[in-house]
Amino acid sequence: MASIARRQPRPPAWRRALPENLTAWSFVLPASLLVLGLGFFPVIWSFLLSTKSSNGFGPEHGVGLANYRALAHDPEWLAAVSRSLKFTALYVPVTVLLGLGLALLLNQKIRFIGFYRTCFFVPFVASAAATGVIFLYVLDPQYGIVDNVIAWMGLSRQQFLDDPDQALFLLAPIYTWTAVGFDILIYLAALQDVPQDQHEAARIDGAGRLAVFWHVILPAVRPITVLAVVWETINALQFFDIAWATKRGGPIDATTVIIVYGYKLGFVDGEQGLGAAVACVLFLAIVALVLMQVGYARWRKLDVV
Amino acid sequence: MSSEALARRATGTLERAVPRKRKRRRPSAWHLLLAPLALIFIFPFLQMVFASFMTTSEINAYPPALFPHHPSLAGYRTVLQESDFGTWFLNSVIVTSVAVASQLLLCPIAGYAFARMRFIGTRPLQLLLLTTVFIPPQLLMIPVYKMYAFFGIVGTIPSLFLPWMASAISIFLMRQFFVRLPKEIEEAAMIDGCSRLGVFVRVLLPLMRPALATIALLTVLNAWNDFLWPLISVTDSRNYTLQLGLLTYQGQHHTEWAAVMATNVMVTLPLLAVFLLGQRHFVKSLTFSAVKG
Amino acid sequence: MKKIPLIVAAIALVALTATSVATARPAAGKPVDITIWHAQTDAAQKAIHTLVTQFNKTHPGIVVNDQLGSNGDEMVQKLQAVIGSGNYPDIAYVYGSDVPNVSQSSKVVDISKDIKATGFDWNSLYEAGRKTATVGTKVVGFPAVIDNLAVVYNKKLLKAAGVAPPKASWTWSDFRAMAKKLTNASKDIYGTGFPISGSEDTTWRLWPMIWQQGGEILDPTNKQALFGGAQGVKALQLLSDMTLKDKSLYADQTPDSQKMYGLFDSGKMAMVVTGPWQLEDIQGHHISYGVQVLPSFGGSHETISGPDVYMVFNHSDARRKAAVTFLAWLHQPAQDLQWDLATSNLPLSAKTAALPGMSQFDAKFAGIGLFVKNLANAHHIRPPVTGYTQLSVAVGKAIATSLLGRGSPKDTLAQAAKAADKALS
Repeated sequence: MASIARRQPRPPAWRRALPENLTAWSFVLPASLLVLGLGFFPVIWSFLLSTKSSNGFGPEHGVGLANYRALAHDPEWLAAVSRSLKFTALYVPVTVLLGLGLALLLNQKIRFIGFYRTCFFVPFVASAAATGVIFLYVLDPQYGIVDNVIAWMGLSRQQFLDDPDQALFLLAPIYTWTAVGFDILIYLAALQDVPQDQHEAARIDGAGRLAVFWHVILPAVRPITVLAVVWETINALQFFDIAWATKRGGPIDATTVIIVYGYKLGFVDGEQGLGAAVACVLFLAIVALVLMQVGYARWRKLDVV
Repeated sequence: MSSEALARRATGTLERAVPRKRKRRRPSAWHLLLAPLALIFIFPFLQMVFASFMTTSEINAYPPALFPHHPSLAGYRTVLQESDFGTWFLNSVIVTSVAVASQLLLCPIAGYAFARMRFIGTRPLQLLLLTTVFIPPQLLMIPVYKMYAFFGIVGTIPSLFLPWMASAISIFLMRQFFVRLPKEIEEAAMIDGCSRLGVFVRVLLPLMRPALATIALLTVLNAWNDFLWPLISVTDSRNYTLQLGLLTYQGQHHTEWAAVMATNVMVTLPLLAVFLLGQRHFVKSLTFSAVKG
Repeated sequence: MKKIPLIVAAIALVALTATSVATARPAAGKPVDITIWHAQTDAAQKAIHTLVTQFNKTHPGIVVNDQLGSNGDEMVQKLQAVIGSGNYPDIAYVYGSDVPNVSQSSKVVDISKDIKATGFDWNSLYEAGRKTATVGTKVVGFPAVIDNLAVVYNKKLLKAAGVAPPKASWTWSDFRAMAKKLTNASKDIYGTGFPISGSEDTTWRLWPMIWQQGGEILDPTNKQALFGGAQGVKALQLLSDMTLKDKSLYADQTPDSQKMYGLFDSGKMAMVVTGPWQLEDIQGHHISYGVQVLPSFGGSHETISGPDVYMVFNHSDARRKAAVTFLAWLHQPAQDLQWDLATSNLPLSAKTAALPGMSQFDAKFAGIGLFVKNLANAHHIRPPVTGYTQLSVAVGKAIATSLLGRGSPKDTLAQAAKAADKALS
């Protein structure tokens, strides 16, 4: 006997997916509108500005890609890029590894752990200006505590931030000191999710602490590691505040990294078009870099975008 | 023997039938490592606290002194009595609260959608959002200002919390945390008849406490410490936040360091208090293993 | 149900946003409403507020709103942001070196006719101030603050080293010899200092040393740099020798020359070239000090004056005229004196300097009388060209490089001259 209730013709695939699509879009729309509105429009405006010659006050005239061509031939620009790359190479691994290490240390139930966690978070909270003042004192070649300790140990005093050869490489640990709080935070939250049973199973099997770390914990927090590396790379390439607050890009341009250079061009030299061009080049470079990092993560099946 | 004790014996636990006085736990050896490291990290802040009890002349002296010789409240007095500290504080609190509330409302659900739901445009949208992180704020001041001017909100409090009401990094943080959550939980709930939103609110959010705490904290930090946007947008001193208020002590030739240090301490302490209170939320409770079962 | 708190929160959020926006729109006023961004902080902020209140009381047709606007350092950025959108002020405090750049805006117009209409005697203002407030043929504002450089020395340190206080006729050789004698390495005491942070503070100190020798910064067409010539090299060589050979000059890298002044205030530096703004701080540190004009190369003791300008921005005829009226009032000798007494800024006109009340000024800030007289030694001004900031950065780098021992004055200045020529073209 034929069934009485006749099935309705199946709606096309896109129709079936519609509720899910609409729900999803309603979930993402508010946040996306805010972020893109305030974050993306400026990108476009920056690009348009980079095709002009303007000092922010006088009349501006379009120059096409001349600003980019000028940058390509600008030795100071190339020097700034080189400094940024060196800085990034030093800063990123140290910060991410330190973040993970400290998070592991802080992921314990010993007394005062809350207080300890807050301590490591303090530098993250201080403003760049305050940090700058503090480290100018700490690293002062005559009166700073670091040089005093070095002299007491019998070694020769260093000029630190006053030395064009040392300044850039000292800014990296200073920046790490301020920024590692973020990495500790996200690693701490991630460490909570490390599957307890895997952890216990490994311990029962007699695995030492190191083995547990390498085979259980590290893989478990890999998505966060990818996020941390990407985030700190972006931070390193955009480094500006502390370099400006402490040395204004000096001594003799030693700490003039990409954004410091762009800032000087745009606001000190009054070449807004060039400053915007610097921003856009950096933007494209970061996009490329992040795509590479994310691509690598996907290739290794690390559960990222 | 009581039935409890019998039961305990039966399950083979190590608890004694008669409660014994707890042995004093030996302080962990980790303190030896944590304490000096923690000191390195907070030492500069301590210096700032000490400096806030010095006079401006003492702060500027060479060689620099660590402890104030004649502790003085001059800095605090200047800030609290002679300036609009109360207004600045209130404005900072408003801006920060709205920003945090907004982020917690908007970002987790967006992160969830990106992590779990398949929909048209998900990849391009994510990439677009990611790109907003790539341009440094210093070079964005002018276009954002022009936008504010277009909407007529220059110099108002909303212009201060708008930049922090949602952020790409919050969305992606939430996404990463949702990605790592086992699918079984949601599937179980949905089979039980829950809608997507219901699953999200009733089942997933409670499990996301560490992640929510993280983005709340980061938003508090960013909104509270924000200096650049207020500088560009605000001119009416009634709308100053704490960071802008600091400006009034930093002149062209003379900085009133005692007031600056006192203000910095008073600006930082609430943040640290929030962190100290909130940091236990980074430690998940035991519920996760229960879910696994 | 858990949903309700969420919904309530969302509504509250929207409501809060909406009301905040609604109350943000200002009401229009009947008298002419103008805004001044004065960039003054601390005591100076109070002083200007008092003056503004006085003006508003005595001039019922105009209401002046005084606002910080921005710190001096960030004023140009802020102006750049606002100038295209109608939210710009009527008056803003701009560093002298930034005036030519800002003047390029179409909102900056010639106010000389408006000044004449108020009856204010423009020529009573000191020359350096007038010149800096004039770009080409446009008068773009009023000088806000005027200063000059002289030498302040620590009487106690000089006495301890057996050095006689400098005479008004002293030379740079005397200066060098004194600095050497005053330097005491075991006590960490320097003879003198010089900022090399690369900012304008680094560069402008070189200019009077060039002018004293009859040199110029730029050629008459303002297109070619002359500071790399013999005079510039001689001046920079002197500084370089004092730093590297005598080790009597402390080259300070801190932004805003904080450490240099900190050392002087703590009795770790015997002499410092500075302006009247520093006297209050020095007094605050209980240093017993004396003031003397800049040394010479055997002839002129010319100094440099670096006025900052209250620039006027045009909204409408009524507002512009009101702004000029306010500024003219502010620069009357009576108000000028009030301002000077509150802030240790120098008088802006000879008329003010002639007031009997000036004796109060001398009494309050010991040694300031010399700075006032020294205004007569300021003849040149910094070239009012739009490339000046780039020129300044280039020369600042040259000075820093030389004093750090990484280049000879001749080479570094030659490089700076090339960069400057490019910026001026």
